[in-house]
Amino acid sequence: MSVATLDFSIDETKQSPAIIEVRGLTKRFGDLVATGGVDFDVRPGEVHSLLGENGAGKSTLMKLLYGVYQPDAGEILVDGVSQKLNSPADARALGIGMVFQDLRLIPAFTVAENIALSLPGGGFRYRRQAIERQILDAGEELGFLVDPKALVHHLSIGERQRVEILKVLMSGARLVILDEPTSVLAPQEVDGLFTAIRSLRAKGLAVVIITHKLHETRAIADRVSILRAGRMLASGIDPTSVDDRELVNAMVGREVPPLPAERAAPPDNKVLALRVAGVHVRGDSGNTALHDIHLEVKAGEIMGVAGVAGSGQRELYEAALGLRPLNSGTIHIAAVEMDRCDPGAALGLGAVGIPEDPISDAVVPGLDVTEHLALANLSSLRKGLGIDWSRAREMVVALDTRVGLRMVAHDRTVADLSGGNVQRVMLTRAFGVDCTLLVAAYPSRGLDVATTRRTQELLLAQRSAGAGVLFISEDLDELMELSDQIAVLHNGHLAGVVTPGEVDRYAIGQLMLGGAA
Amino acid sequence: MIAAQTATEVGGQLLIVSVMVGAIRSGTSIFYAALGETISERAGVINVGTEGAMLAGALSAYAVTAETGNPWFGVVGAAVVGGALALLHAYLVIARGANQLANGLVIMFLGLGLTSLFGASYVSREINGFKPIAIPGLSSIPAVGDILFNHDPLTYLSFALGPAVWFLLFRTRWGLLLRGAGERATVLSSYGYSPEATRYIAVGMGGLLAGIGGAQLSTAVALTWFENMTQGRGFIAVALVIFASWHPLWAMGGAYLFGAALALGPELQVRNVGVNQFVLDALPYVMTLVVLIVLAKRSFQRAPEGLAEVFDAPPVS
Amino acid sequence: MTIMETPPRDEVVVVMETPSAKRGSDITRRAGGWALAYLGALAVFGAFMAVKGVNPFTAYRAMFESTLLDASSLSEVLIKAAPFLLAALAVAIPARGGLVNLGGEGQIVMGGVAAAGVALVFEGQMSSGLVMVAMLLGAVIAGALWAALAGVLRVAAGINEAISTLLLNYIAIDVLLYLISGPWKDRAGFGQLASKPLADETRLPTIGSDGRIHLGIFIAIGAAIGIWFLLRSTTWGFQLRVAGGNGEAARRAGLPVAKLLLSGLVVGGAMAGLAGAVHFAGVEGQLRPGMTFGFGYIGFLASWLAGHHPIRIAGAALLLGAIAVGGDSLQIDSGLPAASVNILMAFVLFAVLGKNPRLAGASR
Repeated sequence: MSVATLDFSIDETKQSPAIIEVRGLTKRFGDLVATGGVDFDVRPGEVHSLLGENGAGKSTLMKLLYGVYQPDAGEILVDGVSQKLNSPADARALGIGMVFQDLRLIPAFTVAENIALSLPGGGFRYRRQAIERQILDAGEELGFLVDPKALVHHLSIGERQRVEILKVLMSGARLVILDEPTSVLAPQEVDGLFTAIRSLRAKGLAVVIITHKLHETRAIADRVSILRAGRMLASGIDPTSVDDRELVNAMVGREVPPLPAERAAPPDNKVLALRVAGVHVRGDSGNTALHDIHLEVKAGEIMGVAGVAGSGQRELYEAALGLRPLNSGTIHIAAVEMDRCDPGAALGLGAVGIPEDPISDAVVPGLDVTEHLALANLSSLRKGLGIDWSRAREMVVALDTRVGLRMVAHDRTVADLSGGNVQRVMLTRAFGVDCTLLVAAYPSRGLDVATTRRTQELLLAQRSAGAGVLFISEDLDELMELSDQIAVLHNGHLAGVVTPGEVDRYAIGQLMLGGAA
Repeated sequence: MIAAQTATEVGGQLLIVSVMVGAIRSGTSIFYAALGETISERAGVINVGTEGAMLAGALSAYAVTAETGNPWFGVVGAAVVGGALALLHAYLVIARGANQLANGLVIMFLGLGLTSLFGASYVSREINGFKPIAIPGLSSIPAVGDILFNHDPLTYLSFALGPAVWFLLFRTRWGLLLRGAGERATVLSSYGYSPEATRYIAVGMGGLLAGIGGAQLSTAVALTWFENMTQGRGFIAVALVIFASWHPLWAMGGAYLFGAALALGPELQVRNVGVNQFVLDALPYVMTLVVLIVLAKRSFQRAPEGLAEVFDAPPVS
Repeated sequence: MTIMETPPRDEVVVVMETPSAKRGSDITRRAGGWALAYLGALAVFGAFMAVKGVNPFTAYRAMFESTLLDASSLSEVLIKAAPFLLAALAVAIPARGGLVNLGGEGQIVMGGVAAAGVALVFEGQMSSGLVMVAMLLGAVIAGALWAALAGVLRVAAGINEAISTLLLNYIAIDVLLYLISGPWKDRAGFGQLASKPLADETRLPTIGSDGRIHLGIFIAIGAAIGIWFLLRSTTWGFQLRVAGGNGEAARRAGLPVAKLLLSGLVVGGAMAGLAGAVHFAGVEGQLRPGMTFGFGYIGFLASWLAGHHPIRIAGAALLLGAIAVGGDSLQIDSGLPAASVNILMAFVLFAVLGKNPRLAGASR
C-alpha cells in the first residue's frame, strides 16, 4: 500500500523547544501496525489537534505518550531527553497528563476522593477537608469549578470531564492530552471547554486534542497533525494553510460521496410507528430519568434525538423497546399499546433496536456471528426440539449480502471482534429485518467514514421502506443531515422538537442545555 | 460443648440477657471472619474459602496453644495460616484467572483436608485457652456488665477492630486505593498503581482475620478441637458481608445477630422449652435468608463494581 | 498539495483478532499440562503425608492397589462416582445459564429425605417396583423444589444463588436431622439417629457377583447422556446458554430469561435429588446423619474439573470417586484421616481452575 504524502509548509514562527517529541514511533498488535514510524511534537503554549478517523491510530499514539503502551520502535523525548515510559506513572512524573474518552473516575467516590487518589504522595491519612480546600483553590485558579463533596455518579458528563481535567492539572501536568473531549458535549459546553483550554494555553501549558471534527480544529488548534491507517500524513501543520476538503481527503484517503440531498418528504399520513404519551421512567439509580415525554414518530420518518450525554437517551431507547418499565404514561408501537415491560412483545410488533453498548447488551460470549443473528430469528429456525443451523447459516449469508456491511467470517466469535466489527454485526442484524420501528442508538459509533456513510444510507432505506426511525446520536451534524425532525432532550425532559432546516446547531445546543430555542 | 458452657455460666439469668451474652460470645468469631471478608470484597475479591481459613485458624491456634501453653502464640499461628490460605486464593484468582467462587470452595476443601490431617492428634487434647476477663467496675453493671464487659481478650480486641477497619477503609489513602481496586481497577492502573498488589494485601488481611476468628472459636469459646468445627460460620460470614452492605460496623451488628440465633437454641433447652434442637439449629441460616430477602436488592446496589462483575459473570469452563 | 490515492483500508483494528491456535500442538500442550497438574498435586499431598511421618510412596502404592487393582474397590469407585456424577450435572446445567449452584449438598439431602418419605408411606402398599419409581420421582421433585427456592429468590428478589443455595444446604441438613431425631426416628435403632431401613425388595436392583453394582449407576450414566443432548441440541439448551452468557442480551432478544434461569436450576436440582435417592436406595437403605456429606461440593468440583461438559463430567466423577475411595485406603493402610484426601483433590482442582492466566484480572 502506498503512503500518501503531503507537502504542507510548516509554520516556522513557533519554534520553542518541544515538551514532547517522538521519532519513528511504531507499535504493532500482532500483524497489525497501529502506528508506523510516527513523528510528532508538542510545544509549550500551544493547542495541537490530532485528526484521524476511527482506527487511524490516534488513541494508540496517545497511549504511547502516556506510557500505557510501550513502542516497538522509535523514541520519545521529553524536554529533549530520550525517555522510556514504562507506565503512566512515569509519564505523570514527567508532567504528561491524559483525559481518557471513557473518563477514568470512580462513580461511587466523591470528587475529592477521586482527586485524592490521583495525587501522588500525601501521607497515610486521607485528609478530606484539606483536599476539598485544595480542589476549590485549584478550580478557581484554573477555571474548572467543581463541587469536591459531590458523588461522581451524580454529576453530568460535562461536569465529570471538568473534574477529570482538573485532576490531571492538579497532579502537575504540563501537557494535557484530551481524547475526543467534545463528543459528549453540547455546542455551548464545547465553547466553555475551549475557553478553559485557551486559558491553559495562555499559562504556557500544552494541550493535545484528539478529534475528527474539522470546525473544532479550526476553532482551537494552533497546529494540526493527521493520522491515517497508522501513518502520520501531516505532522504539525498550520491549519490555515489547508482547506476542509483537503483535510477530509487526507483523513479518509479519498473523496466521500455525499448523501443524496433530495429525498421524498415524509408521508403526510397519520400512521404512527411509535407513540410515546406522558411517559415517566426511572433510571438505574432510582432517579426519574424521563419526565412526561410526549413524542410521535410517523411511519416513513426519521426522528432524531439530541441531547447532552446522559439526558435520558438510554432510558428513551429502552422504554420504546419495552426494556424498561414505565412509571406512568403509555407507549404504542404501530398503534398497539404495550401494556407491560416486555421486550418480546415489542419485537413481536416489529420493533428493532441497535444498542448503544453492544458488548454489555447484545454480545453473548462464545457465540459466533451466525448464532447471534439466529437469535433474532429463533422462531423461524426451529426444527423439532432444536434449531436448523444449516438454514441459519444460509440466512446469514443472504443477509450479509443484502445489507452490504461486510461482516467478518460468520464462524468467528463475536466477543473477540474489534468494536467496529461488532457494530457491523449489530447493524446487519437490525437492518436485515423488515421492521415497523427502528430505534437506533449511536449506530455509527466506532465505524470508519465509508461504513458510516453506508449505515446512513441504510437508515434512509428503512425510512423509504416505511419504517419509523428513532435515531439517537451525539453528532449534531449527522442528526441534522438525516433527520426529518429532531427531538431534543434536556435532563430527562423533552426540551423541544425542531426541524433541521429551520434552526441552526446553536439553537439545538440551547435546548440541550435547558434554554428556550 | 459450646452450649453446655454458656448455660452453666449464665444460668439463672433472664433469657434476653443470656442470649445477648451468647450473641457476643458466638458472634465474635463470625465477626472476625466477616470483617476480613469485608476488606477482601471491598478490593473486589470474594473469598468463599473463608470457611477453610477459619477452620485452619481454629486448628492452628489450638495446636500452637497446646504445644506452647500460650494462647497468644496460637492467635499468631492462626493469623499466619489463615493469611497464607487466603494468599493462595489470591494468587489463583488474580494471577491465574481462576473463578472466584469455585476457587474459594476449593480453599474450603483444602482447609478441611489440612485440618483433618494435622488435627487428628489434637482431638482429645486439652488446652489452657483464653479466659473471660471481667473489667473491674464495668462488669458489675447489671445486665450490661455481663453482656459487654466479661469476655475473653479476643472479643475485646474485636470491639476495637471494627472501628479500626472502618478508619482504614474510609479515612486513609490506602483505604481509597483498596476501595478503588474493588470499584474500577482501570482507574488505579491509569495512575500507575497496581490493583493486583492492593488485592493481594486485602485478601491476605481477610484471611488473617478469618484465622483469628477461628482462633477465637477454638481457644476462647469451645476450648476443644474437632473436625469441621466451624460448621459453616465462614459461609455465614460471606452472606453477612452482603447484607452489611460491605460496611465493617454493620458487619459487627450482623455478626451479633447471628450469634444470638446460635445462642438461642441452647438457652431455650436449658430452660426446658420443648423445641427440637435441629429446628433451632436451622434458625441462623433461615434468618440470613430472610434478612437477605428483605435487604438484598438495596444491598447489592451498593456492591463494589468489580465485585458485582464477579457475581454476574458467567462461569468460565 | 498532492495526495497519492491509497486504496481504502478495510478497517484498522487495535484489538487483536487471532484465529484459534493450531489444533495439534494445542492438544499435546494440554495433555502435558494435565499430567503436570496431577503430578504436582500428588507431590504436594505427598509432601504433607511425609510431614506426618507417612512414606508417601508406600501410601500411594497402597492407595493405587486397593483402589484400582481390586474388584470390590473398583465397584466401590463406581458406587461413589454415581452420586458425584449426578451432583455434578446439578452444577453443570445451571452453569450453562450462568448460575452457580453451590446447593447440591442440600438438594441431595432433600432427595434422600423424599425417597425415604415415599418408602415410609408406600412400602407394602404397592409393588416394590412402583415404590422404587415413586421414590426416584419423589426425590427428583424434592431436589427440584429445593433448587427452585433459590431460583425464585434469584429471579424475584435478586439474591445471588451461590449464597442462597449455600445457606439452604445447612437448612436441608437440619431438616434431615429433625426428621430422623423425631417423627421418622427408627424405634428399633438403639438410640442411633436413623430412619427405618428399607425393605430389601425396595432397594435398587443390583448386578454382578458381589451384588453391589446397583441400578443407580446406570441411571447416572443415562442422565449424563440425556443432559448432554438437552444442552447441545435443543432450543432450550441454546437459549439457556445465551441467558447465561449475557442475560441482558437474552432479555433484549425477547427470551424469557427468568423462566430459563429457573428451569436451569430446577433441572439441576432434580439431578441432585436423584443423586440423593440413588445413594439412599442403592447404598444406605436408611437415612442417617452425614450420609451424603460432601457429595454436593465434590459434584461442584467435578463439574468445574470437566468444564461443565456432561460427558467429560462422567470422567471427572470417576476420578473423584477413585480419590474418595483412596481416602478410605489412607485411613486403613496408612492410618491417616480419610478427609485428608481433600488436600489431594484441592490441588488437582487448583491446577485446573488456575489454567486461565489469560483471564487474570478479568474482573477489572
